[in-house]
Amino acid sequence: MAPTTENGLVSLVIVSHSALIADGVAELVAQVAGPDVAIRRAGGGPDGTLGTDGGRVRNALAAAAAGTGAVVLADVGSSLLSVRAALAELDGDASSRVVLADAPLVEGALSAGVIASTGAPLADVAAAAEEARGARKL
Amino acid sequence: MQESSELVRLPPSVALHARPAGAFVRTAATFTAAIEIRANGKHANGKSILEILGLGADGGSELTISASGDDAAAAVAQLTELVATFS
Repeated sequence: MAPTTENGLVSLVIVSHSALIADGVAELVAQVAGPDVAIRRAGGGPDGTLGTDGGRVRNALAAAAAGTGAVVLADVGSSLLSVRAALAELDGDASSRVVLADAPLVEGALSAGVIASTGAPLADVAAAAEEARGARKL
Repeated sequence: MQESSELVRLPPSVALHARPAGAFVRTAATFTAAIEIRANGKHANGKSILEILGLGADGGSELTISASGDDAAAAVAQLTELVATFS
């Protein structure tokens, strides 16, 4: 699994209603982007059901903000709301190092993870995530 | 400013799927040159995994790797070598 220690690379945070989805996306990104990009996960509700856990989202974002910076990829609905709420609780300096990407979860995480692995700065990693909005598959 | 371009064939058993495409981008990103791959009549930014996946390049297909920039020749040389040795 990807390291969570500071290594100078921008990290990712995956937020999903499903722990399985969050784990699976993290596993896929680690395969494609290599082992050096830290990927934090906040998947599922507080009791292991489908849902979102605001506390876990807050902790993941706070940990990510302590590093070089992080791009957050979320699935739908309350995942995004919980990220926005958690971002609002970070202080200004920390919140400037965490970017919520407006991007599809799987494709955005893959694109961002590969660019993060090259040592690219936060703005470039966020742009790579958002490039997934317009990428054609066929 | 250099321009460089080379034709390379993917190994028969390796399509340009997620892992090889990721490896390509990670190598491409070490160069400052702009890099493009053409295959199947489509083209992709060589530093975008999603665009490369969108090429749908099957094993054995021909890719044209082009680069434009100060390190273009080195980029094309290293990337064609990488593609030829995908396994």
